[in-house]
Amino acid sequence: MPNSRYKFNPESLSFDKIRLSIGAMLLRGLAYFVGSLLIAIVYYLIFAIFVDSPKEKALMREIEQLTLQYDLIHREMENIEKVIGQLQETDDNLYRTIFEAEPIPESLREGGVGGINRYKELEGYDNSSIVIETAKRLDRIRKKIYVQSKSFDDLISLAMKKEDMLRSIPAILPISNKDLTRTASGFGLRIHPIYKIIKFHAGMDFTAPSGTDIYATGDGTIASVISSRRGYGNHIVINHGFGYSSVYAHLDRFNVRAGQKVKRGDVIGFVGSTGTSVAPHLHYEIKLNGVNVDPVNYYFNDLSPEEYERMIEIASKTGQSFD
Amino acid sequence: MRNRKYLLDLNELQYKQVRLPWYKKLLKLFFWLAVTIVISIIYSIIFENIFGSPKEKLLTQQIDNLKLQYKFAAKELDDAFSIMNSLRMSDEVRYRPVFEMDSLPGSFRNPGFGGIDRLRYLNGYLNSDIMKSTRTRIEELKNMINVQDVSFKAIEERRIEWERMYEYLPMISPVDVTIKLGDGLKFREVHPVTGNPQWHYGQDFNAPYGTDVYATGAGKVIEAGWNSGGFGNCVRIDHGYGYQTIYGHLSSIKVTKGMNVKRGDLIGLTGSSGTSSGPHLHYQIDQYGQHKNPLYYFNDDLTEEEYFDMIRMLTSSTKFR
Repeated sequence: MPNSRYKFNPESLSFDKIRLSIGAMLLRGLAYFVGSLLIAIVYYLIFAIFVDSPKEKALMREIEQLTLQYDLIHREMENIEKVIGQLQETDDNLYRTIFEAEPIPESLREGGVGGINRYKELEGYDNSSIVIETAKRLDRIRKKIYVQSKSFDDLISLAMKKEDMLRSIPAILPISNKDLTRTASGFGLRIHPIYKIIKFHAGMDFTAPSGTDIYATGDGTIASVISSRRGYGNHIVINHGFGYSSVYAHLDRFNVRAGQKVKRGDVIGFVGSTGTSVAPHLHYEIKLNGVNVDPVNYYFNDLSPEEYERMIEIASKTGQSFD
Repeated sequence: MRNRKYLLDLNELQYKQVRLPWYKKLLKLFFWLAVTIVISIIYSIIFENIFGSPKEKLLTQQIDNLKLQYKFAAKELDDAFSIMNSLRMSDEVRYRPVFEMDSLPGSFRNPGFGGIDRLRYLNGYLNSDIMKSTRTRIEELKNMINVQDVSFKAIEERRIEWERMYEYLPMISPVDVTIKLGDGLKFREVHPVTGNPQWHYGQDFNAPYGTDVYATGAGKVIEAGWNSGGFGNCVRIDHGYGYQTIYGHLSSIKVTKGMNVKRGDLIGLTGSSGTSSGPHLHYQIDQYGQHKNPLYYFNDDLTEEEYFDMIRMLTSSTKFR
């Protein structure tokens, strides 16, 4: 009681005890709450501006170091990228000068089509250019179909023969060439490394260090082992039967004798640079009935379709052979 | 007036206006301040427990952003490493075998980064690992780049030397490939002119009088004129690498002593001067005074047309200095 407070009521001229209704009390409580909250926020902000919590301090230190290191890394990476760019250029230059990767004119590659204007009678119409283009394309396709059908014929006859034929036909890479990086030069017109003229390259070149194993690419009999210091240098000819033979040239040493029977994958010799060769490499040829065929079509046991595509690309891009 | 509060003084039975002395007011103010602070602390503790501090949140977010940047940097590093690996691949698998150079020793490629931990100062951070691993990988990459640079420089030097060597070495036929070969490097029981048994140290080409003779490799003419040893009108070219070629029995000489020639240059015409029984070319290759078999130094895989294409190409192209 002694602490009860009173309020002077000027109308009744009496002191009224201050009594609050529940609603008013709630309201007042709420007001206190809101007030304290606001004050708390003000305190909190002031506190936050001037004082950092230890955790915040740690985080800020972290950020500072992370930023510092990142700037450093960023600068380093910029330099590194520049230097790597230069190295790539060097690599390109080396590749170009060693492998003469300047493309041989398309006209030389696509022998046959072209020459005389065989489409003269198609000129002079409204859509002449389209018609001529189509006719040319048809011609090209016809040629391809002819080639294709020939290879289908081969396939059919192949399928009809027995297993030993499949074992005999060259079907693997003559050297270990996991990522195809050893492919140097393909079949076809290539720049001769010494003569510097475009000459027909009857096989495929693989660059590899002297002494690298060379494998027989199919079962067969060693037809000849020839030691020579001219042309193919030390070379081996394997007779696979069924019209197929393969040639492995510029060998350093032999691992077989003439007349010996070999199985696919047998090591027959080692890479060298004998004969007319400017660098250690294997020159690999496949002959079908005495005619040189493109070895790129005879790696079907080794290469996936993607690898095959890449092999073709690499082999066709390189302009220089090594013999 | 209205808001004045009164207190009933029971001793005097009087309503008295509540009046506080200044110190009590101050005390009350302090008390009030203290209460609000306590309340604020309670509030903020509750708030931070539920929501976390906004500043911390901001900082953590910043750290997350930075971590993302590190991740990008790591990707860039991956790319750089894969480029470097492919360059190394070209180096080891393509170039070194071609030039018959040994691979760089593994110890040179991977010197190892043990020893003193120079990144020790990065210990004790939440993201020490990221920072240290990124920095370490950069160091590794830089080392790899340096090694590659050194290696490529060596290869480039070797390439230039290699190209030069293949320009200088005698490597083609000195005359048209359709010309028939005569005696090769062998012991002759009867010399066609002197009739004595004698070694024949070169390769003869049975070329008709006046056939063009070409330099078989680049070099310097060290002899051009009459040779008293029996070669008659003779040209001798020094190719370097210990190699010299001799072209004997010429009818006419197109070069002079001291001249630099390149492969395919016309140096003379065949004849029958000196100890000769008929027009032919005597072609001899010596290395450090040893007589080499010239047949091993060119191949007969060219047609006549290709041979002259080659001569034209070799002498006209600007590629050959």
